[in-house]
Amino acid sequence: MRAERGPLDRRRFALALGGGALVLALALAAGAGLGAAGAGFGALAPDAPAAARAILWDVRLPRVLSAAALGAALALAGVAFQALLRNPLADPYVLGVSGGASLGGVLALAAGLPAAGLPVTAFLGALAALAGLERIATVAGRLDVLTLLLTGAVFNATTAAAIVIVQTVASREELHALVFYLLGRVPALPGAALGALSLAAAGVAVLLFARGRSLNALALGEEGALQVGVEVESVKRQVFVAGALLTALAVSWAGLVGFVGLVVPHAVRRLAGPDHRLLAPLSALVGAAFLVVADLVARVVVAPRELPVGAVTALVGGPFFLVVLRHRRGRGDG
Amino acid sequence: MRRRSAGAPAPAPAAALAALAVLAACARSAPPPAPSPAPPPAGARLGVLAPAAAETLARLGAAERVVAVGDWVTWPPELAARPRLGSYDAPSAERLLELGVDTLITTASAAGRAERAELARLGIEVVELDTETFEGTLAAIAELGRRVGREAAAEALVEEIRARLDGIARRVAGARRPRVLVAVGREPLYAAGPGSHLDELVRLAGGENVVADAGAPWAMVSLESVLARRPEVVLDSADNRPGAARGALPGEWARWPFLPAVRDGRVYHIDPARLSVPGPRLPEMAELVARLLHPEIFGPPRASDFGPPLAGEAR
Repeated sequence: MRAERGPLDRRRFALALGGGALVLALALAAGAGLGAAGAGFGALAPDAPAAARAILWDVRLPRVLSAAALGAALALAGVAFQALLRNPLADPYVLGVSGGASLGGVLALAAGLPAAGLPVTAFLGALAALAGLERIATVAGRLDVLTLLLTGAVFNATTAAAIVIVQTVASREELHALVFYLLGRVPALPGAALGALSLAAAGVAVLLFARGRSLNALALGEEGALQVGVEVESVKRQVFVAGALLTALAVSWAGLVGFVGLVVPHAVRRLAGPDHRLLAPLSALVGAAFLVVADLVARVVVAPRELPVGAVTALVGGPFFLVVLRHRRGRGDG
Repeated sequence: MRRRSAGAPAPAPAAALAALAVLAACARSAPPPAPSPAPPPAGARLGVLAPAAAETLARLGAAERVVAVGDWVTWPPELAARPRLGSYDAPSAERLLELGVDTLITTASAAGRAERAELARLGIEVVELDTETFEGTLAAIAELGRRVGREAAAEALVEEIRARLDGIARRVAGARRPRVLVAVGREPLYAAGPGSHLDELVRLAGGENVVADAGAPWAMVSLESVLARRPEVVLDSADNRPGAARGALPGEWARWPFLPAVRDGRVYHIDPARLSVPGPRLPEMAELVARLLHPEIFGPPRASDFGPPLAGEAR
């Protein structure tokens, strides 16, 4: 019986979350204090010029907070899918929700809807993909993990082909927006979207915390979890919907920002152990900090130009993933 | 501009799919290649993907040589109505052969290199033109003139363009040079940087590009950098929708009232068709930008400067 099945070590829990919060606070300060237009908090001075104040309050801060919320959502989605698939290298995008989101966006653009409607239709596309996936992957009343993975992969390939066809035939210049959308970038989310995303992420963190012991048991195998009284199908379904919803929201507003859901939970697991009651909230904090820093790099490294943040996370995440994969295979447990 | 930035190189399977889709679309919608009343004269049968080349050929009186155009060619109307070849960087080889195109006029880009090698194998000559810079555009006009046997007309056109551009440059010499942002895309903010004809237009018309250090002709730029550099004039041609508001309007820039351009009412929303295709209309573009940057020299901007789209442009 491993420690993560027993009562929570409150002191360790508080210490770890405190550390996570500190890391996030540092990342937020760096994100708000640094930028292409210069470093420092001179904008806080009472006689600061209007431009400096606008840069801090209206440009950087909304973007830094958006990055934090998106990073937390992506990391939590990663925790959810890794628990669900019992593979710490599972990718939230593997389930095809991102494909549904991007297809929804392309169709909206091809139909000539204004760009502001794109996150809405992308979200609807993600939900449709989610519903379809769950329906197909439910075999004899149970969510079948292998079917889910295969369905997600096939769904991604199919939507990618559909997107290429729509882009080619429609050939409207508005479709250029989609290229950036698919590249993955942190927008300065309007307040309502930022609030919705933060609330959803917090809700999922609470859900994963509350189901933490069940997920810990599930991590050791479904039969074992059933034997200790876990309602496996119910828990799996909740986690699936929660993770897919967060992925859909993040993709809708930021496009394809890869590897956050992979790198962060994995690193947190290495540092703080596999107990989902700690893994979920700590991953949210670290994920938020990770994307804030990644976006800071994207904002300043080629200033006055910007990089898509998806390129930064992929440059970090790809090699990280390969190193971990090789390490695990070396140990023979990958 | 956008078309270039959006032209991410497609992987081979995607390109094949795209070609299939284009073929399907053509089979559905394109009129059958009816025998044209006046068959093209002997010599080159041109397929034109580059909008600037289409305009140039029409101006040189060689429109009848153009048997097919790419999807981005929307003007002049007589060429926009030609059979379609497919998207900007992935022309359909079968369509080219079917229409008897022997020379394909396109813009210099790395994206279509594989397709170009394939077309060369099929005996179709691919002519790549630089239509991003002034000098490239003028060289392209001369090259097209040679291709269609209108050397003299092309030379005269090049001389006329040079003379009109030089005239503008002379009139702004010595004038104070306002800081200018040329926005070509929003969300994310894209701006014209060095190496683009828009950057050249701004400099020629007596302005300083605020993202002159962007290092690329079409650059995704940092909003806070732009705000910190306080442009005095914003030329916003990011919105290509037909009903978009045009003229001296703050638009979304009203969010930044401290910008000199917003404060002074010098944010101009311009139909991209007025600025985005550097070809025979370069002097008109330069005169337009000059009126916006130096109304004290060239007179106030006119309502017709900002749109509507060019007469008869296919949308």
